[in-house]
Amino acid sequence: MEALKINRRDLLKSTAATAALAYGMAGASAFAQTPAEVEVGLIVPLSGIYARPGQVMRMGAEMAIEDINAAGGIGSLGGAKLKLVIVDAGDSTEKSKNAAQRMVAEHTNLVAASGAYLSSFTLAVTEVTERAGLPVLTLSYSDLITSRGFKYVFQTSATAASQAEQSLPVVIDLATRATGSKPKSVAIVTDNTAASVASVKPMRERLLKELGIELVVDETFTPPLADATPLVQRIRSARPDLVFFLPTVISDAKLMLEKLNEFGLGQGRIPLISFGIAIAEPDLLKTMNPALVEGVMTCVGNWGFKGHEALIKRIKDKYNEPWMTQNAISTYGDMWIIKEALESAKKADKEAVAQALRTVDMDGGPARYFPGGKLKFDENGRRVGAGLTIVQWRNGIPSTVAPANIAMAEPYWPKK
Amino acid sequence: MTGIIWTENILQALAAGLLVGTIYGLMCVGLALIFGVMRVINFAQGDFMMLGMYAAFYIFGALGVSAVFGTSAGPYVAAILAGPVLFCIGYLTHKVLISHVSGTRTAHLEGEGHYAQLILTLGIALILTNGAMLFFGSFLYSLQTPLSTSAWELGPFWGDYVSVFVNKARGISAAISLGVIAVLAWMIGNSRIGRALRASADNPTAAIYMGVNVDKSHRIAFALGVAITAVAGGLLATNYPFHPYVGLEYVIVMYAGVVLGGMGSIIGAFWGGMTIGLVQQMSTLILPTQLQNTAIFVFFLLIVFFRPQGFFGRVVERT
Repeated sequence: MEALKINRRDLLKSTAATAALAYGMAGASAFAQTPAEVEVGLIVPLSGIYARPGQVMRMGAEMAIEDINAAGGIGSLGGAKLKLVIVDAGDSTEKSKNAAQRMVAEHTNLVAASGAYLSSFTLAVTEVTERAGLPVLTLSYSDLITSRGFKYVFQTSATAASQAEQSLPVVIDLATRATGSKPKSVAIVTDNTAASVASVKPMRERLLKELGIELVVDETFTPPLADATPLVQRIRSARPDLVFFLPTVISDAKLMLEKLNEFGLGQGRIPLISFGIAIAEPDLLKTMNPALVEGVMTCVGNWGFKGHEALIKRIKDKYNEPWMTQNAISTYGDMWIIKEALESAKKADKEAVAQALRTVDMDGGPARYFPGGKLKFDENGRRVGAGLTIVQWRNGIPSTVAPANIAMAEPYWPKK
Repeated sequence: MTGIIWTENILQALAAGLLVGTIYGLMCVGLALIFGVMRVINFAQGDFMMLGMYAAFYIFGALGVSAVFGTSAGPYVAAILAGPVLFCIGYLTHKVLISHVSGTRTAHLEGEGHYAQLILTLGIALILTNGAMLFFGSFLYSLQTPLSTSAWELGPFWGDYVSVFVNKARGISAAISLGVIAVLAWMIGNSRIGRALRASADNPTAAIYMGVNVDKSHRIAFALGVAITAVAGGLLATNYPFHPYVGLEYVIVMYAGVVLGGMGSIIGAFWGGMTIGLVQQMSTLILPTQLQNTAIFVFFLLIVFFRPQGFFGRVVERT
């Protein structure tokens, strides 16, 4: 039997090999315990005049990431945690596009993103993300976002045209039942942002005619307004039965409501129906008397509704937000949708996540954070059967009043 | 009936234009004072106005002016008190920063310090905007007063028709603006400080020989210009919600107003601002509302084309 000879060189080699093996095993075990974080993007305006809604979207995203990670992360990826990458989209379409370019260049590990508040910004951002193959979920309304043949954009809200189509009959029915006669004339006052323009288009072209309502004032303005006098003077001259008002900037909502009151047309004398969230933002109360906004209704893609009570309480406790706007709830839901896509994709890869989003078909899960329909996207990226919420200011709080199955209060007609 | 509606529309647009224009005029006067005396183009003027709005807001709420004067008079007291606060900030800004690139220290600087002035004031603007975002947050605020939702109704002038609504908050703001401009005009024309400012503006070298402290005059002009625009901001905040980026919305109006009135002319700047307000509101009578701001700049280009020196500017450069 040959004696075991170990020289210094062999000893060093075997020691090194053992150490490497031990290190490798330890490393593997460490990796098994903490899988790499999965990066998810949030591209929203955090500077400029749209910073406030961007910050609320950030709150929704942060709450969702916290909840997803607390619930064990992505199960199919060994419990990988989500990590939020926040990018400031700025206050113009140019800045949004530049921010998107920066996002896809600097954060190559992103698997999906949510953004970008204003439809105009989302249109610009998705021009970049589409080319980079990064799936983007959006709460923006413009029909254009999902009518360009893009494959990596997923719109969770009903499009602006669909919202107009869904909401007008409800509003007119409510007015008819409350006043005993159908409204005959309407004034449209809208800003010229993409979502507002898209909402107004089907009203002007088709919907009002179908409902037998005459359009007596049709005014488009560039936000932000310096003064609402010319707009309200037109309404005063025409005396319509209803005003449809589509602002995007909160200051425009304030100026319009105050000017209507000043001209003796406010507080329901000529009922005002809004579209979009600007008129139901908490900030409005920091700038004007709540009595002037009481009873005002707005048609919104999403809002905190029945079943979201615990979330509404959390956002109040954690961020001091008095209620859950679309910006918070939809972004919260977007993160859960991305989580579901990652679960079925089984890998942290943007192409696999995009494919999972194209094929997802669920009734429950993240669908409970959105009104109507299910979690399924059509070939254009629109959520199938996406509904909307009608929100009404009641006792200083905008509450969901329609559709009935998710309403937190009964609607009433503000006509005096 | 159409004629009656048109008459009412014209009178209402005129009233709105005069009210908006008076505030614009006061903003422009602040900027024109700085340019007229110091020949410094202050790109941070809009952001000093924003600081004035926040100053008025905190004076109104946190410092208890609303409790003492109520919600009707309180916002105006706060807006006026924002002036001295911003005067101090402007004075310090000039002493610490602007004085290094303006006044008597520009001899060694390229382009008489104008490049450095542009970069410095732009830098101050960025710092103020982003600093305000960090410090005050992105929330919208306004000086809430019941006056902003009520109006004096003039008329009806024709049976039951042709009424003109004058917003109470804007009406009082306009009256205070005119008062501030009258006091400033008196001060510049009659006081010792005013004479020093005029001497420093007309011929700084001669002013130094005559014993005028030109650097101090410049400092006072800068601080006064900032304070006046801050008061305009405070008055505007009774009606218009503000946020850290609000200055950007108005700084272009201020520049257009100053150039329209004639660079360096203080009274011209007031009329320049007034013209912008009138064009902005009255253009809606014949043009779509979304072209309001386009109308301002078309008018501005026309004036620059036909009268490059502005309404009150002098063609020949001062000697």
